Amino acid sequence: MNDMRLTERVVTETAKMTARGVQVHYGTNHALKDVDVDILDKTVTAFIGPSGCGKSTFLRCLNRMNDTVASARVTGRIEMDGQDIYDPRVDPVQLRAKVGMVFQKPNPFPKSIYDNVAYGPKIHGLSRNKAELDEIVETSLKKAALWNEVKDRLTAPGTGLSGGQQQRLCIARAVATSPEVLLMDEPCSALDPIATAQVEELIDELRAQFSVVIVTHSMQQAARVSQRTAFFHLGHLVEYGETGHIFTNPSDPRTEAYITGRIG
Amino acid sequence: MTAPAMAAPAKATSLIEPDARTRRRNASERRFRLLGLSAVGVGLLALVILLTSVLGNGLSAFRQTWITIPVTLDAAVLDKQGNRNPDEMKKVTTLGYGKLVQQALLDALVEKGISTGDLTPKEVMALLSKEAPADLRDAVLADPSLVGQTIAFPAFATSRIDGYFKGRVTRESAERDANISPAQLDLADRMAEAGLIETRFNMGFLTRPDASELRPEAAGLGVAILGSAYMMIVVLVLSLPIGVAASIYLEELAPKNRWTDLIEINIANLAAVPSIVYGILALALFINILGLPQSAPLVGGLVLTLMTLPTIIIATRASLKAVPPSIRDAALGVGASKMQAIFHHVLPLAMPGILTGTILGLARALGESAPLLLIGMVAFVRDFPGAPPQGFLDPAAALPVQVYSWTQRADPAFVERASGAIIVLLAFLMAMNALAIILRRRFERRW
Ligand SMILES: Nc1ncnc2c1ncn2[C@@H]1O[C@H](COP(=O)(O)OP(=O)(O)OP(=O)(O)O)[C@@H](O)[C@H]1O
Ligand SMILES: [Mg+2]
Repeated sequence: MNDMRLTERVVTETAKMTARGVQVHYGTNHALKDVDVDILDKTVTAFIGPSGCGKSTFLRCLNRMNDTVASARVTGRIEMDGQDIYDPRVDPVQLRAKVGMVFQKPNPFPKSIYDNVAYGPKIHGLSRNKAELDEIVETSLKKAALWNEVKDRLTAPGTGLSGGQQQRLCIARAVATSPEVLLMDEPCSALDPIATAQVEELIDELRAQFSVVIVTHSMQQAARVSQRTAFFHLGHLVEYGETGHIFTNPSDPRTEAYITGRIG
Repeated sequence: MTAPAMAAPAKATSLIEPDARTRRRNASERRFRLLGLSAVGVGLLALVILLTSVLGNGLSAFRQTWITIPVTLDAAVLDKQGNRNPDEMKKVTTLGYGKLVQQALLDALVEKGISTGDLTPKEVMALLSKEAPADLRDAVLADPSLVGQTIAFPAFATSRIDGYFKGRVTRESAERDANISPAQLDLADRMAEAGLIETRFNMGFLTRPDASELRPEAAGLGVAILGSAYMMIVVLVLSLPIGVAASIYLEELAPKNRWTDLIEINIANLAAVPSIVYGILALALFINILGLPQSAPLVGGLVLTLMTLPTIIIATRASLKAVPPSIRDAALGVGASKMQAIFHHVLPLAMPGILTGTILGLARALGESAPLLLIGMVAFVRDFPGAPPQGFLDPAAALPVQVYSWTQRADPAFVERASGAIIVLLAFLMAMNALAIILRRRFERRW
């Protein structure tokens, strides 16, 4: 079913976020070197590359989560809708409300399933009453393909779910705040093929409303869901372009070596 | 796996026969287990010895010997105006009541047909506590309508008689004792037979104020318990918010640099400062410079707060550190501010640890005596401190200091009372520890 999308791909060309010359140091470790990427509006962008190459690091630059790492130093320029997100006047809290994130490891709050999803809308004042909040929780859980499994136990602890369910709960939590950009760090690494397919479907749906950036180790997944792909290697952005192009006709020998399974 | 390793001839070993290596390993494991067990055993033994000694010496402090006699409260003596006005009745001193009690005692003995032998009326009266007339006076002033009636008045027996019925005083010790004679003990025996003397539970030990050197039977822990309670309130109200706020700042908000490192080291060091040093600090700061009154629970509470703060800060920081960073990431990731992340997610998870640390800190403060000695809490206080907030500035005693000052007194009856006070202190500590466990459970159940 997913293969059909390759043909009906519509790529908008307006950039939602642009990164120019982004460098990240963790202490003396130069983790990201001179990365230029445009995240296009209403597009799914996939980041691929071998483990430790800096995909998560770059993702965390996009919503300034690296601010919380004491040793991290970010230089370069990242803009969202033409505004520098590292401008001292920018409140990272406001930025993160617009740029949601699903983390590599599932990290539900040790609260009920309902409270997990409702927390974001609550603190951002997205609902006027309980009924609206219930509505948001339900649609978010449905989008994350979790509703059917948890609708009877919304008050049960989120940490009591299985690993894959927890990850989908985190997706629902991120979706609930209706961000403009959604960053997903390997959202499917703990999921079975059926849940994976559901999440991929969700990603495709979300594309209608906002940009999605997804880090994945699965070439097939990148090929299936994304319109743009960036290949990272040892902190460098090696190649970035249309997904079809990267997978069928890579211009860099390292990209070819990686997608054919020779490095990584 | 390399080829030569595969080729090495496999030794024929049985899974049922342990080889020498495994036997040695098991033997050392058994030795370690034994060592641990004996360490726990020594600890338990010490605890049992402590408890038996304290309980053995102190439980009797909760029982007291009373001499109950009918006393006729003669209006002609106690209320000459006859209008039952307590203010005017105050003019009759304990001396007046003393005569009344002595007469009542002699009358009661005659009525029961108990001969006093060669004992003078004064020697008979010496069976009663010196506190008895004062107690009777307090009872009458509290309820003037008693005047004119005949009431059954339970008077404390003096500490020697009390000790005789508890086995502390014997005829041999009475021979050598200037305060009691074997003849008086004989009289006490006869009175007990006639039902005038009995030993029973004494609530007064927990509610009465301290009493002077000569009246151990009347001494109680009331003022000390109230003083300790006031101090604990001060410590809790001050040290919990300050400690938690400081910990949150240091752990979550402060930049990690040389200054915060320095502060951290100093806090760790403060936790190890001997408590008497805090007493000297408090004497200089609160009493000499700020001019706060001596012996006041407020000052005691402030000292104990200073002493408890490092403990609470260390415990709180440890439990904040134990909250997985992924929870903070999750909160920040949905757009919560740092404060929201801390108060909505991190703090509730750290709460069991914080509460346990706080209560253990409070328990330590409750048992602390050295710094309180320096700020004058060792003074002899007979008046109960008032209700809060004034009560925080009234002179009061404290439980551990009361134990200390009772052990300093000559009458052996005070040794029994000091042990009794230790039991009360231990009961408070156990209650606080139980509370810590309950709170821990309660908060942990919220995952
Ligand atoms: N918090 C951190 N502190 C110090 N170094 C870090 C930190 N996070 C990442 N790094 C370093 O930065 C480099 C890139 O890490 P990153 O997590 O971005 O890799 P990744 O591409 O996401 O790998 P994976 O696919 O395994 O998740 C690694 O060398 C890593 O050791
Ligand atoms: Mg990663």
